Amino acid sequence: MTRDTYVFLAVLLLFVVTNIGLVASGILAADWTGLGVITGAGMTLALYSFLYKDNPLFKFAEHVFVGVAAAYIFGQYWYPTIYGELIAEWTDLEVGETANWWLLAPTALGFLMLTRFSLRLAWLSRYSFAFFVGLGAGLTIPRYISSFILAQIEPTLQPLSLSWDGFNLLVILVGVIGVLVYFFFSVEHTGVAGRVSKVGIWFLMVSFGASFGYTVMARISLLIGRVTFLFEDWLHLM
Amino acid sequence: MIQKLLDIDRRIIFVLVFVAVAVPLLAGMVMPITPTKEVQAAYDEIEKRAAGDVVLVSFSYGASTVPEMQPMARAILRHAFRRELKIVAICLWPEATGLAQEVLEDMAAEFELQYGVDYTFMGYKPGNFSVILNMGQDFHSAFPQDNWGAKADELELTRPLRSLKDFDLVFDLAAGDSIEFWWIPYGQEKFGFPFAAGCTAVMAPDLYPFLDSGQLNGLLGGLAGAAEYETLVNHPGKASKGMSAQSFAHLIIVAFVIIGNTAYFVSRRTRPEQRS
Repeated sequence: MTRDTYVFLAVLLLFVVTNIGLVASGILAADWTGLGVITGAGMTLALYSFLYKDNPLFKFAEHVFVGVAAAYIFGQYWYPTIYGELIAEWTDLEVGETANWWLLAPTALGFLMLTRFSLRLAWLSRYSFAFFVGLGAGLTIPRYISSFILAQIEPTLQPLSLSWDGFNLLVILVGVIGVLVYFFFSVEHTGVAGRVSKVGIWFLMVSFGASFGYTVMARISLLIGRVTFLFEDWLHLM
Repeated sequence: MIQKLLDIDRRIIFVLVFVAVAVPLLAGMVMPITPTKEVQAAYDEIEKRAAGDVVLVSFSYGASTVPEMQPMARAILRHAFRRELKIVAICLWPEATGLAQEVLEDMAAEFELQYGVDYTFMGYKPGNFSVILNMGQDFHSAFPQDNWGAKADELELTRPLRSLKDFDLVFDLAAGDSIEFWWIPYGQEKFGFPFAAGCTAVMAPDLYPFLDSGQLNGLLGGLAGAAEYETLVNHPGKASKGMSAQSFAHLIIVAFVIIGNTAYFVSRRTRPEQRS
């Protein structure tokens, strides 16, 4: 047996002994809630074991997560929407109620998407995609122009003043112009254009740095969440 | 020595980050938390509503972001129910239903709320931004029934709600692009309701321009945003507990960034052939 196999068996043994101790001492209840906490702790440790090395426990936990998530999401689509609002529209009709026949149109388009699985019938899915792309573009283009361009120009082009707010506005204005010039490829980035685009690069670097800092914060937050679960809900150390 | 630093086993960094997180949590260390103006603005949006006003809370996150988003949801709902606001909860992510239900049930027990009168849970609806457009035109058409099949026009709280304009505030809690790409262009811009949001830290930098433009009235970013909101509502929870661990982990990472860069530049100076 390799050293990794020994490490794997030792960790597994430690986990089993710890749980037996927790249940025997009454820290964890011997019921479904206790089993849920033990399963959660086991899955957390199995997933973090990847930090040491890829291993079968990690693979198992990863596949369980994907399977459970897929089943849960299917359930969320099926019961309230496909069954609750489509099938029940015809099967659970009360006296005097009429079915909403308009629902058949999107249902048919949805079924046509599934023809992608057949080489012979795949062309039918183009009707669904054509509808989807056309509708999406028609809805998106005016809304995005309004929300992301027109609405953003206004706060960028406010009158400057001798105050901190005025200084902030100036920084934003210089940043916007610098980055726009950097992404303007019709002019060679030499001379004035080159210097302005360099300013744009600096703004982009600061922006990436801020995003990276926030990303680190997010990932550490997730670690804190799992460590809190292990210490508080599983081991009751907090 | 320098080369050893550059070739450091990454597992040593993992262990140090774990220690930096674990020790403050076990020691129960508490650090002062000062709310930022974005979080204060979100708080003020709820604070200035009158008792009985209706707030739509949209849950758009899943299990993978629970440590950041769930404390946020608890703090906001606790504040809203303290102010005797009515909550209509919806989900635009399928994974969010169980999480939203858990928070709502906890709050209902804490504040002795009556379902259908003080709050309702409409469940999940697929369609992303089209659901928002649909809600803007006809709320009952988008959500004809609640999560358990009760008809929207039979519930006291949802019966009079016809459009997004009937809500006094919309609050989106999101781990994806629902704030920026769904709610702002298809909801807030089109129907003009007061809009605040809570998001994961990863998303927060992209949303700051919408605060300046007034498209977003307040913003909670990540665990820090949740902790700041917990401070404002004077009810420290899991987010506040985690902030000292967050600070120590950041110190470790900053230290490694400095060490890594210093070692890299020193090694370049000592080995000129690598300069290129």
